[in-house]
Amino acid sequence: MTSIPEGSDPSVAPPAGPFDPPGVTWQGVSPRLVQARLIPSALTFGVPVVAGAVLAVLVSPWFWLLVGVPAVLLVWTALLVPRQVRAIGYAERDDDLLIRKGILFRSLVVVPYGRMQYVDVEAGPLDRKLGIAKVQLHTASAGTDAVIPGLVPDEAERLRDRLTARGEARLAGL
Amino acid sequence: MRTDLRWHRVHPVTPFVRGWAAIGVVAVIGGQQVLENVSGALRLADEIGGLWWMVIVGVVLVLAVVFGYAALAWKMTAYAVDDDAAHLRKGILFRQQRHARLDRLQAVDVRQPLLARPFGLAELRLEVAGGADSAVAIGMLKESDAQRLRADLLARAAGVKAARRDTSPVEPAGTPAPSAPGDPATGTPAPEAPVGAPVEEAGAVDAPDDVAPEAPERPVYEVPAPRLLISLLRMPGVWLGVLVLAGVGVAVLMTRQTSILVSALPAILGIGGYLFNRFAGEFGFRAALSPDGIRLRHGLLETRAQTIPPGRVQAVSITQGPWWRGPDWWRVRVNVAGYGGGEGADAERQSVLLPVGPREEALTALWLVLPDLEAGDPDETLALLDEALSGDGRSDRWFVTSPRSARLLDPWSWRRNGYALTGRALFARTGRFVRRLDVVPHERTQSLGLAQGPWQRRRGLASVVLHTTPGPVAPAVHHLEAAEAARLLGEQSVRAREARAHTTPERWMEGPR
Repeated sequence: MTSIPEGSDPSVAPPAGPFDPPGVTWQGVSPRLVQARLIPSALTFGVPVVAGAVLAVLVSPWFWLLVGVPAVLLVWTALLVPRQVRAIGYAERDDDLLIRKGILFRSLVVVPYGRMQYVDVEAGPLDRKLGIAKVQLHTASAGTDAVIPGLVPDEAERLRDRLTARGEARLAGL
Repeated sequence: MRTDLRWHRVHPVTPFVRGWAAIGVVAVIGGQQVLENVSGALRLADEIGGLWWMVIVGVVLVLAVVFGYAALAWKMTAYAVDDDAAHLRKGILFRQQRHARLDRLQAVDVRQPLLARPFGLAELRLEVAGGADSAVAIGMLKESDAQRLRADLLARAAGVKAARRDTSPVEPAGTPAPSAPGDPATGTPAPEAPVGAPVEEAGAVDAPDDVAPEAPERPVYEVPAPRLLISLLRMPGVWLGVLVLAGVGVAVLMTRQTSILVSALPAILGIGGYLFNRFAGEFGFRAALSPDGIRLRHGLLETRAQTIPPGRVQAVSITQGPWWRGPDWWRVRVNVAGYGGGEGADAERQSVLLPVGPREEALTALWLVLPDLEAGDPDETLALLDEALSGDGRSDRWFVTSPRSARLLDPWSWRRNGYALTGRALFARTGRFVRRLDVVPHERTQSLGLAQGPWQRRRGLASVVLHTTPGPVAPAVHHLEAAEAARLLGEQSVRAREARAHTTPERWMEGPR
């Protein structure tokens, strides 16, 4: 396999039956994706928690109910997201790219290089601040859900170039 | 802009045909508004009763603007064809030039809307795999010109190199016969020029009638109108409509209030409209095979002649609802890259390969797409197909089905869920009440997916999804044993890769690369 650029986490998740084809080395994504996913949800759940707490102190203790629900969701998210991020993995094989994700609802997608129509690299403001980017592969099928989030920009660029080069080499029609 | 292209105008009657269509749309929308609010419209009519001449002036003005705009649009519309691409330019304020590469041509349709039929006009649609609204619509043309242009485009797309000289605009003349290598499926001997034969120099062919513009075709099946009608009458929608009507009738009799009738109108109109659309769209359905691919013709009011070149069908589905089980009728639909992007009814209409037909015809339709399944001798193949259409886990010889542990997750059709393989394609079977068989040629697989939810994991199951281009077919094999699913995923990606390496070239008349 290729050298793993700095910053990406080459942690290999434990084998998972059908989601672990033989002879595949999985690459994980950057742990900074945890922050990138937690910060927006912390904001959405945090604001009602704070507002509820203020109202509970000032107006009526009944407002603790308002605090409870988002607080539980916040804790749940905080526990879940790191595991979700660790579960994301991708592997470049000779002829196709494998992407797997999910803990409860697992999925694995196999995208042949010759089937790629184009590759997207995206990074929002928060992603850029944290230094990660998202690579998405598009085939002629709308059903192909091949997204690798949380890549270090260098790795994202390397992957993009590599994928396009391999795609051209193996290009087929539709 | 390139100067070596010969640009042609579309037919001058186009603005009238298109303009009337626009007026029709306005009238229909206006009519619907009026229908929805009858009393309001009547009051409005009373109020403007004295100003009737203004209404007439208004209508005339609208007509003038619409036709003026259409005439201007006609002036700006032109098309050209060369060996590699079809070009279309249009637009008044926002100019648009579209180049469609012919080797990426997915299908060619000649569409004849009702309004264009009295004028003998038709529209040519080149479908390319670019998502919604990516088709290149050249129209209106005289019907014979549209046919000739279609033959020309298909010949060029097939890679029958065309050296040609235009003798007159609109008439793409001097195309060498596109029918060169004969029909491999039927063994028709090849007429004159073999593939790759030197093409006549420009100038050698001047008269447009010198050449055979159409590839010869062989009719394969057609759907008689009575069968289509009966098949539609068997649909649950009809029974629903009859039930609604009966209910409304009873309600009207009981309450003596006819306004209930009006409230039931949309439902009746909806069901009736759907059935009529199906009937009108699939009326006179005929399929034929030619070296250019599959030819389909259908339509009552608006007729459509489709040509799907070889290798352009991405997936096939054969379905049968319980309402068609008695006469053993099936419906065959296909995914073609250019068709899926369209809107609702139109996309559905375009992707039908057989609207309704007995089992043998459904299998013939499948044979049109995949002439050789590579499943052993003919008897074996037939047995496999029978199993694929109506077999289940108890009698399977080829199909790998869901294990018993899938029973809780899919109590009805777990015996039917399964897949089988031949040398050319993967068969995915499902559905106990609505039987469904999806066939994906190995070389057309886009990507593969494996999915497993928490309940599936507890029972050691997983589902395999085959991704194909947008369309009515979405093949998947649900609730396989986890190890079996993993094996299928691995093996299928290898098979797809190997099949891709030996696939027919994009220009289907050129030899394999």
